[in-house]
Parts: sequence; C-alpha cells; structure tokens
Amino acid sequence: MEKKRSLKFILGDIFCLALIILPIAFGIVLKVLFTPASNGIEVTGARIYFTIHMPIQDLPITEAQVNSWIVILALLGLCLFLTHGIKKIPDSKRQLAAEWLVEKASGIVGSNMGEYFVGFTPFIMAIMGLSAFSSLLTLVGLFPPTSDINIIAGWAILVFILITYYKLKAGPLHYLKSFAEPFAAFTPMNIISEVATPVSMSFRHYGNVLSGSVISVLIATGLQGLSHMIIGKLTSFPLLQIGIPAVLSLYFDIFSGCLQAFIFAMLTMLYISGGFPMEEYFAKKEKKRKKKEQKV
Amino acid sequence: MQTLDIISVNIWQIVISLCNLVIIFLIIKHFLYKPVKKMMDKRKEDIDKELAEAEGVMQDAIAEKQIWKEKLDGAKAEAKGIIDDAVLKAKDRSDAIVADANEKANSIRRQAETDIALERRKSEEQVKKEIVDVSTLLTEKVLGREINPEDHKSLIDSVIEDIGKE
Repeated sequence: MEKKRSLKFILGDIFCLALIILPIAFGIVLKVLFTPASNGIEVTGARIYFTIHMPIQDLPITEAQVNSWIVILALLGLCLFLTHGIKKIPDSKRQLAAEWLVEKASGIVGSNMGEYFVGFTPFIMAIMGLSAFSSLLTLVGLFPPTSDINIIAGWAILVFILITYYKLKAGPLHYLKSFAEPFAAFTPMNIISEVATPVSMSFRHYGNVLSGSVISVLIATGLQGLSHMIIGKLTSFPLLQIGIPAVLSLYFDIFSGCLQAFIFAMLTMLYISGGFPMEEYFAKKEKKRKKKEQKV
Repeated sequence: MQTLDIISVNIWQIVISLCNLVIIFLIIKHFLYKPVKKMMDKRKEDIDKELAEAEGVMQDAIAEKQIWKEKLDGAKAEAKGIIDDAVLKAKDRSDAIVADANEKANSIRRQAETDIALERRKSEEQVKKEIVDVSTLLTEKVLGREINPEDHKSLIDSVIEDIGKE
C-alpha cells in the first residue's frame, strides 16, 4: 500500500490509534498512581477509586468499571480504525481484516443460530470483543474486568433477558407451558435450570479468569519463596521468577481469556436460538395473518 | 486504598456493565458491522449486476454473430452468383467479340483476296495489253508492215496463254 494518503486521512488514522492507545495508557497511569507499595501477596477484588452514593446501594467506581470503559473506548478506536477509508474495492489490509472479522462472525452465528438470527452477529461480536479484550488487559498489567463478578453478571443478565424475550415470542402461555415439559413434575427443576443459566454463565467466565490470576499470583509468590530457599544464601534475587510465570501467563491470560470469551459467546448463541420456539412462533404468525385476512 | 471483596455483588455495577455491553454492541454495529456489510453487499450487488450484464452482452454478441454469419453466408452466395453471372456474361461477350472479330477479319481477308485477285487480273490485263502493244509494235517494226490486229491479237494471246502455262 505505498500510496500517498491525504493529510486528513493520516490525521484520522492517528486519532483512531490514539483512541486505542490513550485509554490503556490512562488506565496504567491510574493504576500506578493509586496502587500502594506492598511486598506481601494479596488476592483482592478490584480497587475502589471513589464511591458515589446511590439509592439501594452505594456505587463504588472500581478498577473493573474504569477498565471496561477503557476497553470500550479502545474497541471504538479499533472499529473506527478498521473501517477508516473503507472502499467498495478493498485496497488496504485493514479493510480485509474488517471484512474477514465480519464474515467469520456471520459464519459462526449463521451456523450456530440459523439464518433467522444472523442479525445477532454484531451482538455476538460485541460479547466476544468485550470479553476477550477485557481478559487481555492483564497483558498490560491492568485489572481484568472479567474477573469481577458484577461485570459478567451484567452481561449474563442481558443474555438472560434476550433468551426470555425470544422464548416469549410464541406467546406467554406457551412460555409457561414449556416449564411443565415433559410433564408437570419437572416444573421446579425447569425453573431452577432457567435461573441457573445466567448464574452458571457468569460464574463460569468470572471463575476462570479470577482463578487464573489467583494461580498466577500464587505461583509467582511460590517461585519467589523457592528461589529464596534454594539460592537465597547467595543472593536475594528471585531467579526462578524469570520465565516460568510468563509461560503460565500465556495460558491463563491469553488462551483462557480468549477461550472464555468464545465459550460465553457460544453459550449465548445456543441458549437464545435453542430457547426460541421457531415452529410455534411461525405458526402463530401465520394464524394472525389469516385472521387479518378474514377480517379484511 | 480500599479494595472490593473478591466476591461482592453490587446492583449498580451490574446495571452499568449491562449498559456497557449494550453500548459496545451499538458501537460494533454502527462502526464496524454496518459499514463493512454495506460495502460487501454493494460489491456483491455490483458484481452480480456486472455478471448479468456481461451475460446479456454475451447473448447479444452470440445472436449478432449468428445474424452476421447468416448475412455473410448470403453475401458470399450472392457474390458467387454475381461473379458466375459476370463470368458467363463476359464469356458470351468475349465469344461474341471474338466471333465478330473473326467475321470482320474474314471479311477483310476476303475483301483483300478479291482485291488482290482483281488487282492481279487487272495487272495481268495490263501486262497482257502492254505485251500485246509492244509485240505489235515490235512485229510491225520487224515485218515492216501492218498486220491484221485481229489475227495478231489472237496469235499473241495464244502465245501468252502458253507462257502462262509454263
């Protein structure tokens, strides 16, 4: 792409890239400023920057909140960057990348949810992007929002609302009846499993990411102790801490983060399309249409 | 600095996170999905249109080719007919011309022959007459007297006849 780009185009590019990088830099600065010096290991939740008084419950603005806004801004920058200077005939790698992403996501959604739900593609992309990039924030040393239960719970509740909305499409009566399937004695179990859906989704994702960081901290500390024990008499330098945590980080931060994002998106797709009574919905629609025709 | 407990549920944080997901959904929909999809659809539409157009043009071209081929064949046949006609006509004409020329030549030759014959006879007559005259004169001189021209003429004629025979 050795082409002369206009100054305006370059400025737009710089703006997009700044939108990606600056929030992350801001997050790092904020973390450095607010983290007190400490030697001991601690496994805690997100750090609270300040608290806003709200009805029902105070709202603490925590690292998790701020970091998820950072991810949103960075993703906004990424989207703008990828679609900047988009043309009918692609001449840039970024457009190819953007088209690859959209096509891939449409393919996944189409094959998992069916053609009726292809409109869900941007939503699934949003879940995957937000979840994966939130987990990947650990790579720059920031607190991953996905290891805060509140963040994941919010997503899971939105997904639950969508599931219920699509289940209700065939009428509330059909929805209520579906709890007594295959027969009435199953009703309590069905209700439990219905409620368990968002709970299990949020706990799965949150638990995976959190346990990853807990294990990372534990191993790092353990290695420190071990190196102190073995070669501590010579030097206090934690030799064993070099390299080994990096390999673990590869698994816990990159692989696990992306995998959990994928699983969360997969479950969303399956629950929404699986709960949707397609045949009943279309039968009902057909009935309505016929009624209307008769009236006319 | 305070931190949250490792598991702490806060209703407002949940609501905010839910809104965040909606916001990121809207962002991705409006800034990534829609423009890319629009471009791809537009491109597909254009390609389909162009392909259909090309197909149409191809059909037209094939039909046109057929028409032209037929026309060409017709033209070829016509040309052949014209040429044949022309050749035939030319042959007739040339035959006529040649015949005419032959005729003319023949007539000329005949004319010439008759002319020649006439001339020859004339000259013969002349020569005969001259010979007669000369011989008459000579004989008159030799004999010194007038001879009967009638006798004389018949005599000379017989002599000349004899000479012509030899």
